[in-house]
Amino acid sequence: MNPLLDHAQHLARRELFGRAATGIGTAALASLLARDGLADDSSTGGLKVPGLPGLPHFAPQAKRVIYLFQNGAPTHVDLFDYKPRLAEMHGQPVPDEYFAGKRFSTMTGDPTGKLMLAPVEPFAQRGESGAWVSAFLPYTAAIADDLCFVKSMHTDAVNHAPAISFLLSGGQLPGRPTLGAWLSYGLGCETDSLPSFAVMTSVSKGTTCGQIFYDFYWGSGFLPSKYQGVKFRGSAEPVLYLSDPPGMSREMRRGLLDDVARLNEIKLQDYGDPEIATRIAQYEMAYRMQTSVPELADFSDETQATLDMYGPDVTEPGTYAYNCLMTRRLIERGVRMVQLMHAGWDQHGSITTELYTQCKDTDQASAALVQDLKQRGLLDDTLVIWGGEFGRTPFLQGDINDRPKWGRDHHPYAFTVWMAGGGVKPGLTYGESDDLAMNVAKDPVHVHDLQATILHLLGIDHERLTFKFQGRYFRLTDVHGEVVDELLA
Amino acid sequence: MARRNWTPLCAVFLLVAYLPISSRADDAPSFSRDVLPILSDKCFKCHGPDEAQRAADLRLDEEASAKRSENGLTIVVEGDSGASELFRRITSSDPAEVMPPADSNLSLTTGEIELIRRWIDSGAEWGGHWAFEPITRPAVPDVSSLDVDVRNPIDAFIIDRLEREGLRPSPEAPRETLVRRVSLDLTGLAAPLPLVDRYLADPDPDAYDRLVERLLVSPAYGERMAWDWLDAARYADSNGYQGDNERTMWPWRDWVVSAFNENMPFDQFTIWQLAGDLLPDATHEQRLATGFCRNHMINGEGGRIPEENRVDYVMDMTETTGTVWLGLTFNCCRCHDHKFDPLSRRDYYSLFAFFNQTPVDGSGRSAQTPPILEAPTDEQAARRIELDELVNTAAGDLESFEQEFFPREEGQPSNQSEAAGELPDALKDVLSKPAVQRSREQLSELAMHYEASAAEYVSLLKALESALGQRDSLAGSIARVMVMADQDERRPTFLLEKGLYNKPEDVEVSMAVPARFSPLTEDAPQNRLGLAEWLVSPENPLTARVTVNRLWQQFFGTGLVKTAGDFGVQGEKPSHPALLDWLAAEFIASGWDVKHICRLIVTSATYRQSSKATPVLIERDPQNRLLARGARFRMPSWMMRDQALAASGLLVDTLGGRPVNPYQPEGVWEETTFGRKTYTQDHGAALYRRSLYTFWRRIIAPTMFFDSASRQVCTVNVSRTNTPLHALNLLNDVTYVEASRALAERVLLSSESDPIARADLAFRLVLARSLMPEEEEVILAAVERLRDDFEADPGQARELLAVGESPVNESLDVIEYATYTALCNAVLNLDEAVTKE
Repeated sequence: MNPLLDHAQHLARRELFGRAATGIGTAALASLLARDGLADDSSTGGLKVPGLPGLPHFAPQAKRVIYLFQNGAPTHVDLFDYKPRLAEMHGQPVPDEYFAGKRFSTMTGDPTGKLMLAPVEPFAQRGESGAWVSAFLPYTAAIADDLCFVKSMHTDAVNHAPAISFLLSGGQLPGRPTLGAWLSYGLGCETDSLPSFAVMTSVSKGTTCGQIFYDFYWGSGFLPSKYQGVKFRGSAEPVLYLSDPPGMSREMRRGLLDDVARLNEIKLQDYGDPEIATRIAQYEMAYRMQTSVPELADFSDETQATLDMYGPDVTEPGTYAYNCLMTRRLIERGVRMVQLMHAGWDQHGSITTELYTQCKDTDQASAALVQDLKQRGLLDDTLVIWGGEFGRTPFLQGDINDRPKWGRDHHPYAFTVWMAGGGVKPGLTYGESDDLAMNVAKDPVHVHDLQATILHLLGIDHERLTFKFQGRYFRLTDVHGEVVDELLA
Repeated sequence: MARRNWTPLCAVFLLVAYLPISSRADDAPSFSRDVLPILSDKCFKCHGPDEAQRAADLRLDEEASAKRSENGLTIVVEGDSGASELFRRITSSDPAEVMPPADSNLSLTTGEIELIRRWIDSGAEWGGHWAFEPITRPAVPDVSSLDVDVRNPIDAFIIDRLEREGLRPSPEAPRETLVRRVSLDLTGLAAPLPLVDRYLADPDPDAYDRLVERLLVSPAYGERMAWDWLDAARYADSNGYQGDNERTMWPWRDWVVSAFNENMPFDQFTIWQLAGDLLPDATHEQRLATGFCRNHMINGEGGRIPEENRVDYVMDMTETTGTVWLGLTFNCCRCHDHKFDPLSRRDYYSLFAFFNQTPVDGSGRSAQTPPILEAPTDEQAARRIELDELVNTAAGDLESFEQEFFPREEGQPSNQSEAAGELPDALKDVLSKPAVQRSREQLSELAMHYEASAAEYVSLLKALESALGQRDSLAGSIARVMVMADQDERRPTFLLEKGLYNKPEDVEVSMAVPARFSPLTEDAPQNRLGLAEWLVSPENPLTARVTVNRLWQQFFGTGLVKTAGDFGVQGEKPSHPALLDWLAAEFIASGWDVKHICRLIVTSATYRQSSKATPVLIERDPQNRLLARGARFRMPSWMMRDQALAASGLLVDTLGGRPVNPYQPEGVWEETTFGRKTYTQDHGAALYRRSLYTFWRRIIAPTMFFDSASRQVCTVNVSRTNTPLHALNLLNDVTYVEASRALAERVLLSSESDPIARADLAFRLVLARSLMPEEEEVILAAVERLRDDFEADPGQARELLAVGESPVNESLDVIEYATYTALCNAVLNLDEAVTKE
C-alpha cells in the first residue's frame, strides 16, 4: 500500500466514524479534498473551495462582486445623463450628424426625422460630488457621493439577449462563460456551504415587458458546469430539490447520509477512485446547504431598521428589495458573486408610466444595499455594479402628442452605469456623452473595458485568465479590453 | 498469475512515473505528433493559415515557407538548429527578438524548445496533420509473447502501448460488475434481475458474448444510442429564444431510435439525414430523416431581421455538419481564415452554400416553418382515411340534397337557383362554392339561416361541418416535422464580412468541400446529396475516425481523441493513433456497421477489465487514458433516472411518441417566462417513460437532468461534474423518492424476510451484485434506526410513502414500507449506483 494514501484513508475513516453524529468534520473533508488534489492548504489562502494556482495575479481591491443587472436597459437620458440642450430641442427632429451610419433596432430603423424627447423629470446635482441624478431616483441621489458614475459606456449589440450576453460573457451568442463563472473558476470561494456564484431574478410590478431570463446569462459556457450560477428562487424552496421529502426528518437524513458515506468509504478502499471521496464531500456540502440556505432566507435576525432601509417589499420573496437583502446575506457568507437581475426597464412606450414603478421598485433597495454593506464594513472589498445592457434613444419612440405612450428605443452608443465600493473612486463621474446624450464624446468605456476593469479590481489580469476550448484560448474580454485606470481608487 | 502480481511492477512505475505518457525520450520527434501541436499553439496565431493576422509574411504551417531563405536567413535549416533563425529567435534573450513576443502572453517551455531543437537537428522532416491523412489499416501489433488476455485487435493495440509504458492490464471485472456495466452501456438501463441471474449462473465461456447479443437486439439499445445523437443534433421540443414555441420534431427522434435498432449502416444514416430529400423518389422516411438539419433554434424575437435569422440557420447547419462528420470547428471561419487549421473563410462559405438552398426565409417564429412533412402515427393515418371518406360522403349528400333544394340548370352552382334569390350576398357566395370547399363557419351560417325552415338541410349542413371539424382536429394533432428541400432557383452564396448577413463581399463561392480535401467528383450531384456522399466516401478521412471516437467516448467516458468535437491541429492528439485508425478502417470495411463496432468494444478484454485502481496507477495515469484498468465514471443524469425507474419496476418501456412532462418542481417554467409557459405535469404512465421522451424546452431544460448538452447547438463533448446540487436532486426529487418506495415494495413483496436478505435484493436490483459482508453491519444498523424513528412517528412514515403518484401498496406494513423506502433512497444514492463501474 501507498503509505500516504493509507494515512489519508485512515484519517478519513477515523473522522467519518468518529464524528458520525455531526457528519464529516471539516478537517476530514479538507483531507479528502486534499488527497483529490482539489485543495491544497498551503496555496488556497483560507479558501474553502480553491481557485486556480497563481490567482489572483496581484493584490485585489475587491473580493466579491454584486452585479445589480437592470434588464431591458434603463434610460440614461431620464436618470443620469443630464443634457440641457435636449430640453431645448424637445420636439425637434434629431440632427443627422448624430446618427449617420449607425445601426438601430428594426423598431427604429432609420432615425431620420425622429423627434428629440426631453427628460420627463427634473435633474439636480447631488452631494458634495455634484453628480447629476434625476428625481426618478431619490434614494440613489442621496448616496451619490458613494458612487462612481461611468457615463460613457457603449456596446456592440442592439437587441436585449445579445447585449446582455455580451456584457456578462463577452460574446453576443450563448456559449461563453459569464463573469461569475470566470470568477468561481479563477478565484474559488470562501464558503463551502453555499455556491460561489448565486443568481436571483425579479421583475417590475405590472410591467408589460416580456423579457426572459435565459440561463446562459449565468452560464459557465465551456467551463465545467459546476461554475455556472446557481439560481436562488423567490419561493419557499430557494434552491431546486433543497428540501428533504415529506416524512424525512433532518436526523433521518443525517443518518442516511452517514450510511451512504460509510458504504462509499468501503467502496473507496476497494476501488481507490478519488472521485468517490469527492462525492462524499459533495453530499456533505449538499447537507450543509440544506441548513445554510433556509437560514440564509430567514430574515428574523435582521433589525427593523435594516428591513426599513430596504423598503416595504423586502419581506416579500421574489421582489427586488427581497433579493437585495438576500444579496447582502449571501455576500456576508462568503459567496464570490451575486448576479441580481431585474426585468422591466424596456420603456418603448412607458417612459411616463411604467418607468415610475420601475424606479420605485429598485431605487430604495439598491441604495440600501450599498449603505448596508458600508455600515457593515463590507463595501470596501465588495464591488457593486448597477446598470443595464445599453441605453435608450434620446429621441422619441411614439407620438409626441400622446404623452402617456412616450417611449425610447434601444441605444447602444452611450449609456450610464454606476459602481460602488471594491476599489473604485467614490464620488467620481467619468466620461461624457455629447450634448444630446447620443454618442460618447469623452473617455469612452467599451463593454470589454468595463470587464477588464472589474477583473482588475479582483486582482486578475484579464489577458491571463483564459481557458482553451476548441483550439482557442478564450477570455472574458475576447481579444479586447483595457483597464480604465481613472476609475480606480 | 503474473498479471495479479503487482509488487515487482511498482518498481517500474516509480522509474517511469514522471515521463510524459505521449512519447519516449529516445524517439526522434515526429513533426505531426510533437512539433506541429507546439507550432499551432504558440506560433500559428501570427504565423499560421489566417492571412489577415499573418506577421512578417511567414507561415509555419507550410513547409516551403518555413524552410525558405531570405536575406541570408533561413527559418529552419534541416539538421542544423544553430543555423536556423527559428531556433535563434525562440532562444533569444533579447526582448525585442524573442518569439513568441512578450505581449502575446505566450511562451515556450524548455521542454518544447528542446523538442524543436531535436526535431531540427534530426533533419526537420515535415508531415501533415494526422487527422487529415488518409486512413490506412494499421497492422495489429503482435503481443502474443505476453501473458495477457487478448480477445480482439483492440486489446493488442492497448496492450502494445501498456507494454511500452511498462504497465499491465487489469484482470477481468467480476461478472456482476460486467453485466451491469454492459447493460447500462448498451441499453442505458439496469440489467433486469432474471438476466443477471441467468448470466451469473451460465458456466459457458460464451455466456458474456450471448449476453451482449441479447442486449444488442433489445429495443432499449436504440433508445440508448439515440441520446448522444440527439445531443449532437441539438434536438429539442421547442424553438428556443423568446416565445420558445413548441415544435413537433419527435417523429424524427423516433426515426433515429429505429435506425439504430435496425442497425442502419452509418453511411446511409448520414446520407438520409443530410440529403434524404434529394435521393431519387425519396420515401417518407428519407425525407423525415432530414429533420436532422432543421433541429436548429428558431429566433422569433421582435425586431429581428428575417434574412439575419435565415443566415444564422444556415450557419448552424453548416457548423453542425462540420462538427458531427468532420470533427472540425468551423465557426471561426465565419469571420476569418482559421488560425490553426487549413480551413479558409472560402471553405466555410463553400460548405455553407450546400445548405443555402432551402426555401426557408427566416421570417416568423413558427415551429412548423415549411418545408414540412406530416408524420401521422399509423393510427392517425388510418383515422385520416376514415375521416376523408366521412367528409366526402357528407359533402356528396349535401350536394345531392341541394340539387333539389336549389333547383337550377345542370352544371350551375346552387346560388344560381331562384330559391337562393332572397338570400344575403354572403350566403350566396357560400352557395357558389362546391360543398367540400365551404368552411365550417360558412356551413354554420347557412345552417343558422335555415334553422327554422329546413330541418333536413340543416342536419346535412351540420353533418358536413362536424366531419370537417373532426378532420381538422385530427390534422391539428398530426406531428409536422420540419425537413429539407432545395428551392428550384439556386441561391448565390457570397463571403460575408465578419459573418454579417448584410455585409456580403463581392466574392461569390460555389458549393465545395474544404479545399484541403479531394473535391466532389464531376459526376457527383453538386448539391447536399453530393456532400453527404462525399462525407462517407474514401476521399474524406474524418467521418469514420470522428464517429468511432464518439462511440469509444460513449463506452470509456473519454474518446481516444479527448476533444471529440475537434480533430483539428489544436485538438488533442489521439492517445492510441493506430487503434483509432484501425477502428475507423474496420468501421468502413464492415459496411459502416455501428453494432459491429459496439460489439468489438464491449467484448474486448480492455473493456472487460476491472475498474479497480491502485494508488500507483492513479498517480501514473489519473485520467485512465492508457486503459490499464476499466473505465469508471459517473453515468449521465438521464441514465440514473432510467436506472432508478427500471430497477424499481416503475419503468413504462413504450417506444416513441409525443414527449411527456414528468415530475418537475412547481413554477420553474412560469418563473422564467413570467407565466407565459405553464408546465402541465402529466399523470399515469407518462411519468415513468424513459428520459429520452421528456419534453425538452430549450429556454429551460428539464430540471432533473444535469451536465446535459444544452440542446441549443451541436454538442459532442461530455461534461461530468460533481456538485452538491446533483446530490440534492438525487436525494429529494420526487422521481427518486418514488422509485425508492417502489423498490422497497419489490423487496418487501419478495419471499425474503430478514433485513440482510432484503437489502441484498435491493442491491442486486440496482447494482447487480450481492451485499458484501462488510456492508451488512451498516445495513443492519440503518434498518434498526429507521424502524425506531418511524415507529416513534408513524405519521412521518405515511408522509414519506405518499410521495409520488403511483399507488401505495396498502397491504404492506407502513413502518416496514417506510423503513425500506428510506433505505432504498440511500442505495440509489451510493457512489456505485450513480457510477458505471
